[in-house]
Amino acid sequence: MSRPIIFAIPKGRVLDEALPLLRQAGIEPEAEFFAKESRALRFATNVEGLSIIRVRAFDVATFVAHGAAQIGIVGSDVIAEFGYSELYAPVDLAIGHCRLSVAEPADAQPEELSQASHVRVATKYPHLTRAYYERQGIQAECVKLNGAMELAPSLGLSRRIVDLVSSGATLKANGLVETATIMEISARLIVNRAAMKMRAAELVPMVERFRAAVETSRVA
Amino acid sequence: MTDAIAPGLLPEGLADRLPPKAEASARLVRDVLDTVASHGYRRVMPALAEFEETLVTRLQSAGAEDLLRAVDPVSQRTLAIRPDMTAQVGRIAATRMAATPRPLRLCYGGPVMKLRADQLRPERERMQVGAEIIGSDSVAAAVEIVNVAIEALQRAGVKGLTIDFTLPDLVPTLAAGPMPVAPLDVEAVRARLDAKDAGSLVELGATAQPYLALIEATGQFHPAMDRLEAFNAGPAQGALTETIEALRAIARPIGWDITLTLDPTERHGFKFQSWFGFSIFAEGFIGEIGRGGSYSVARTDGTSEPAMGFSLYPDPLIDAGFGDEAGKRLFLPIGYDAERANALRAEGWITIAALSPTDDGKALGCDATLEGKGVVPL
Repeated sequence: MSRPIIFAIPKGRVLDEALPLLRQAGIEPEAEFFAKESRALRFATNVEGLSIIRVRAFDVATFVAHGAAQIGIVGSDVIAEFGYSELYAPVDLAIGHCRLSVAEPADAQPEELSQASHVRVATKYPHLTRAYYERQGIQAECVKLNGAMELAPSLGLSRRIVDLVSSGATLKANGLVETATIMEISARLIVNRAAMKMRAAELVPMVERFRAAVETSRVA
Repeated sequence: MTDAIAPGLLPEGLADRLPPKAEASARLVRDVLDTVASHGYRRVMPALAEFEETLVTRLQSAGAEDLLRAVDPVSQRTLAIRPDMTAQVGRIAATRMAATPRPLRLCYGGPVMKLRADQLRPERERMQVGAEIIGSDSVAAAVEIVNVAIEALQRAGVKGLTIDFTLPDLVPTLAAGPMPVAPLDVEAVRARLDAKDAGSLVELGATAQPYLALIEATGQFHPAMDRLEAFNAGPAQGALTETIEALRAIARPIGWDITLTLDPTERHGFKFQSWFGFSIFAEGFIGEIGRGGSYSVARTDGTSEPAMGFSLYPDPLIDAGFGDEAGKRLFLPIGYDAERANALRAEGWITIAALSPTDDGKALGCDATLEGKGVVPL
């Protein structure tokens, strides 16, 4: 079978950490991939029949879940937010560590959450946010934003936000403090469930190379 | 005021099937049913809807909230449209055919309906076709079911088959035996293994850790079986010896042209199966087109009997273009030679007879026209 395998990789921060792992797993993207000015979205690799596509993190999960890409790298936040039944996450790549947290203005009046039946939250993660508050018996009304969540409290859109936090510098710069952690996050290797079976001969060894690469870098 | 519904609009998840897809679908269903019938499976046609109460008690794959329901104005009871025919076949076997000698082989085919669909599989109505053996869930029954399913699909012309074996009750069996897990955690271990989510499985703690090896015992059948054997010799302490032998016995007669894989912790669609399950994949569509395995049918006296079967949901394969056969179409002008037309139909021609002198063979999609006794290309 000569159908190509598509490897979906997120743009941004995780990409830099993922490249050494890709290399250890024997995958080298073509030079074009590293060209800043390139507008291409699909790139060849040194592995025959393996192409890389570079898309937004949320789209990595969607491409792989639908089988448009067979394998990919994405944060566990995205996997949990979508809850796609068709995604396997066989390897914790132990990169891209951060956490999904609740943040509020540093100068806000303290609020007794146990008395609230309803909160309003600006977030890119409505599903996880709702589930988090529902566990505490609170209904969360989520305002879906795609970026710059930190602006929401100061402009009166919502009192709190739920967003990714790594160093906390962005929160601080916007006068926010982290008040609760919803989940710890790391990047995972994901594989389309059907592809893992139908193309086991190609994908299973690839997954194993990543597993080995993670082991090696953990020891190092 | 709601806007008027546009004449062609159907509710979400429902679709009309047109030629040639409708024909391809009917042909596939017919080929599958003919094949299983030739192996002694008798056809049943369960009712399209039944009392919600009786349907739900037998449905292990879905709950009441998954059903399309309505109150029956006649009986004042809730009716539900079947979301799955396997449960109905179980009901027939346990009631009307309770006295029929076992093993009882039955087959069925028809549309089923579920309340909700998801983004990956947006259709709410699907065609289901399948066969069940009631009265046995032995290795012999598994061998028969798997091979009949393969034969039926191959006869229908489906190519590039992958059969994925699974062990649906593996985790509860191990958790209750050599690899104890707190009862509350069993479901979490199963779900995370099902998602092959190595990272979050580890988070469940030390008792879940040994289960990690099951994720690695996934993939092409023979290497994966070797790993499962190593796992059996290790943490499972021999609890799987019999199962491993059974899996090898089921795999043995399967032809080389079928890709065999093993995923011992697969649970997608295996909520009610017992020791053995399998999924069927085919080239041309990402996702399973069918599955099967062992389960039990509840009898009216409170006992249950073992069963083994498979169901196919061929719609996505048809949508992907499988089976679009263009037959040769012959135009028969007014006053055509009926005997010659009969003979040509017997040769495989599809004839389209003119009903008026203005009918245009070419516009009606014909490849040729009948002139006297001769076939003239259009």
